[in-house]
Amino acid sequence: MSQDTPSTPKKGFFQNLKEIMYGMASHDMSRYALRTRASMEHLFILITMGDMIGIPILPPYYSLRLLPYVVPQISTWKRRLLREKDVSDAMF
Amino acid sequence: MSLKTTFQQHPERRYIMFGGKGGLGKTTFSAATAYWLASQGKKVLVFSVDPQASLSDIFQKDIFGKGPVKIMENLWAQEIDADQHIREYQNEIRQKILDMYGFEAVPDEIEQYIQAASAEPAMEESAIFDAVVDIVVGGNYDYYIYDLVPLGHALYYLSMAKVYDEWINKITKLREEMREYEEMVSRLKREKETEEDQILRELQYIRTRINTSSRILTDKEKTAFFFVVVPEEMILVDTQKAANLFAKFDVPISGYVVNRVVPRELLSQNIPSYLRNRIEMQDKYLKQIDEMFGAQVASHVPELERDVTGLPMIEKLAGIMFGE
Repeated sequence: MSQDTPSTPKKGFFQNLKEIMYGMASHDMSRYALRTRASMEHLFILITMGDMIGIPILPPYYSLRLLPYVVPQISTWKRRLLREKDVSDAMF
Repeated sequence: MSLKTTFQQHPERRYIMFGGKGGLGKTTFSAATAYWLASQGKKVLVFSVDPQASLSDIFQKDIFGKGPVKIMENLWAQEIDADQHIREYQNEIRQKILDMYGFEAVPDEIEQYIQAASAEPAMEESAIFDAVVDIVVGGNYDYYIYDLVPLGHALYYLSMAKVYDEWINKITKLREEMREYEEMVSRLKREKETEEDQILRELQYIRTRINTSSRILTDKEKTAFFFVVVPEEMILVDTQKAANLFAKFDVPISGYVVNRVVPRELLSQNIPSYLRNRIEMQDKYLKQIDEMFGAQVASHVPELERDVTGLPMIEKLAGIMFGE
């Protein structure tokens, strides 16, 4: 969810080093964390908006309040929850 | 203890509720109590949480969905139009979506959900529940008199607060966990700050609203809950069951008002056996009421010569209830 920051035309040496270190040390960890975060996001939408895919979950009045915030995620969420599992799930 | 002394001794009890089975006189007593308090110089709002409200009928004035309507000096009455409330709420959500994403129109899929959610049976109750929060949070009145729904619904109304609260607690926890992951990623990426989680903020807002409402219902200091009964077996059995359930939800029961008592004076007159039998039957159950609720019985209200509608009748009833 990070915003694009306007990049400077030429990166300094330390900036490059920082990115290399990041790639070597923590890129995997943050990717993993992001993935976990994404599945939790989907779980959250399921709990609040379950009605949308036919799972009735209490209570609709207040879940409507949350609806605007999850609008962009709705289609990926539906795709993820309703798709069949295949071998690529294990790979990615 | 009489109703009058109860009110005089506990001026801090600002939220007054009358509960009971349907058709026993909840609305009538709500109106009469509101009338009496208003005539004592208190600023009173009597409002109905019943989708089939009858305050309009008793005050003989169409107040449905019109916000607080002034009935007389110090007295306002309000009937919540749940459908209107839901419509406004839906539009608010739609507008928010359009504003947030700059859409021309709400996407089909989302629109369908908004409409489907509003067709849920719980929606109407929830909308009223939410509207009540707005009313009581306003705090402009000395007294708020709830003209409650019949027992079954009232219990649902009470339990709804608990269910909502648990639901919100669970998802708030999940949301907070998600937040931790997000922060971890930002730390790894050495980003300074994460965006504020709008959803978490919304959830906290919802929780405050629900708590406000349920806190009032169960506030022993500020709330007085009266059960309306009539001296008949079925009513007594149901009321006792309900009273136990209400006690479980920590609703402070302040007393019982017995309605439709046929005047004993009639016995000295030449009355048909039909009426005599009714009085005898009532005597039996009045004794039972006395055993069951004892000192908690706040008032006996006689069967009047006509139905209570319009201010003169309300005034008369208030006089009887509050012993003036």
